[in-house]
Amino acid sequence: MTIGGAVAVVYSHNLMHACLYLLASLFGVAGLYAVIGADFLAATQLVVYAGGVVILMLFAIMLTGGTGNRINRYGLEKIASMGNKKTYFFAGFAAIITSLILLKIIASVLRAQPTNKVLAANDVTVNKLGVLLATDHILAFEISSVLLLGALIGAAVISRPRKERHD
Amino acid sequence: MSSFNLDVYMPVVILITLALLVAGGSMLLGSIIRPHHPNQLKETAYECGEEPIGTAWANFNVRFYVIALIFIIFDVESALMFPVAAVFKHFNEIGLGGTLLISIFTFTLILVAGIVYCWKKGDLDWVKSFNAPSTQQVNALSKDK
Amino acid sequence: MNSTVVTYLSQSKEFTNTVAALSKALGFDATSLVAFVIFFIGALIVVGALATIGGLGTYAERKISADLQMRQGPNRVGPYGILQFLADGVKMILKEDIIPAQADRFTFILAPFLCMIGVFATLAVVPFSSGLMLSDINVGVFYLVGMASLVGVGVFLGGYSSNSKWSMLGGMRGASQIISYEIPATITIVSIVLIAGGLSFKTLINGQGGLPHEWYLLHNPFAFIGFFVYFIAALAETNRAPFDLPEAESELVSGYHTEYSGMRFGLFALAEYIEVFVVCGVAVALFLGGYKVPFDLGSGHIFTEKLGLDSMLAQNIGQVLELGAFFTKTLLLYYVVIWVRWTLPRLRVDQLMTLCWKYLTPIALFNLLGMAVWMYAFDGKSIYSIIFNSAVSAAGHH
Repeated sequence: MTIGGAVAVVYSHNLMHACLYLLASLFGVAGLYAVIGADFLAATQLVVYAGGVVILMLFAIMLTGGTGNRINRYGLEKIASMGNKKTYFFAGFAAIITSLILLKIIASVLRAQPTNKVLAANDVTVNKLGVLLATDHILAFEISSVLLLGALIGAAVISRPRKERHD
Repeated sequence: MSSFNLDVYMPVVILITLALLVAGGSMLLGSIIRPHHPNQLKETAYECGEEPIGTAWANFNVRFYVIALIFIIFDVESALMFPVAAVFKHFNEIGLGGTLLISIFTFTLILVAGIVYCWKKGDLDWVKSFNAPSTQQVNALSKDK
Repeated sequence: MNSTVVTYLSQSKEFTNTVAALSKALGFDATSLVAFVIFFIGALIVVGALATIGGLGTYAERKISADLQMRQGPNRVGPYGILQFLADGVKMILKEDIIPAQADRFTFILAPFLCMIGVFATLAVVPFSSGLMLSDINVGVFYLVGMASLVGVGVFLGGYSSNSKWSMLGGMRGASQIISYEIPATITIVSIVLIAGGLSFKTLINGQGGLPHEWYLLHNPFAFIGFFVYFIAALAETNRAPFDLPEAESELVSGYHTEYSGMRFGLFALAEYIEVFVVCGVAVALFLGGYKVPFDLGSGHIFTEKLGLDSMLAQNIGQVLELGAFFTKTLLLYYVVIWVRWTLPRLRVDQLMTLCWKYLTPIALFNLLGMAVWMYAFDGKSIYSIIFNSAVSAAGHH
């Protein structure tokens, strides 16, 4: 799902659809994180990426009208559908990979073997992450907040509308 | 049995499948029993008549984008806060609560500074509606008369 | 620790017997197969129950609003009109499915599905009772927040794909409303995680007790404020009154709903009602003590000790009590949600955004810091235990 989605992103002609394949791909990544036991990372992936970044990209597409000249947003022309063969092919590929991941989960159910890719299974990931963040990497923690501040101010400054002077 | 097993995600997968089945199934069921008489009139969009003013449209979209950006930043901030919050209680018990408190404060206050900046600079304001002229335009118009 | 319905049920003798029998019959260890079957049945039950609650929610809403407006609600279909939602459902399925000619077919069809997937996936972690949760993922509450934001994507796509200027605007406003209010809600959840020390719902609920003074709501003043912040933010996130501008636009002008007819619209609406229930459930779990029954009846120990019942049976009784507690509290909150809708006027979009960014977010951040200070200063004790302890020690001095 991840790879198929990612390839479909690159090959899809419609930018909006590309975003949706990206969403599928991010879901796949979250699933992969979950499968190897990094549950907090999977949830973060969902919250920040699938929830936030995809919306951001969709808004950006709306802003810049970047859906290409095949689509006239203000007219009533029919939007070009995804009839491109390549898109179908890669969507199918994505479906195959999705089903493989699903099969993996189901297979672990049926065979009742704990998977061997276990990371320190008995501790809760979130707590370990928290301890690490608070002790070893506390500087990184604080710097990340400064980084976020920089991003915030940068975003605000860039997106400020240019004031037209009528004087 | 190790405490790490994928079984716990089984309900998630099942529920997502059920969602698709329920939604898809009801659509299918409907497509069998409902009428299907498309005609030109039905398929056109619901028109309200008014065309948006060109520049006002562009002005708007930036507001949405700014909100989305600010959202992402605070989202990442809260995602980073989660692990720290989860172990705060534990730290308190072993007596290191004070240091963690200071680090939480620093982290949050830096971002509060950010939001105060955005507030003061007016990035958080939302324009009312694009049919109503803004206060400056009204004043300008009334000055012209 | 992850634990699930299966973990709970595996304590019973019937479970082990079934597994043994199946293993013999099938030749391999049937534990996980039985687990799968139990999950499947559990998921079906949950989906069925919640879809019914969603449907009854529409009915309840009409009845309660009628009550508030001094009129009768639906009372024709079935006794007291209780089957109204079934009639509505049938009507929706029978309506013609019009996909506008200029709509983007793929996204048009996908949008309600995304909303449904987002909402259903959250059902996996809703803590109905300590043993009967479908699964208690370690990052439960965070996962729930993530899935709820998927609904925002669905709303936006619904607006975009209709390809009419008005529904696109409605979709964008709806999406920006959902993402804006996610911030105060998430920050408030972080502040509760501070007290509880974990992200899974079990941890959050186990930190509370059955009686009101043991709930996080009354734990300290910051949590009290936090409850209201969370409630308002979560209401706004579900596009629910008085924040239903994206929907109201479909009454007044257009909104992301407009071009959707029949069952597709029904899917959006169903997703919204179920989401309101889930949000109320989360508020109950975080602030109102979740499924905890007063006097610790929920764990069934009292039954074993006092009445001498078999341990599994006692636990089952405890589970039923816990279910009852959870549903009572959640449905009470649901009633408050409906009440609020029909009492307060709708907010304008700029008031909406101002409320979020200039009021709720600063309050939520202040709460977070205040909660951290409280935890540090008072060692995580609630207000009542402090007063109680100081009273006891004061009495002890005499």
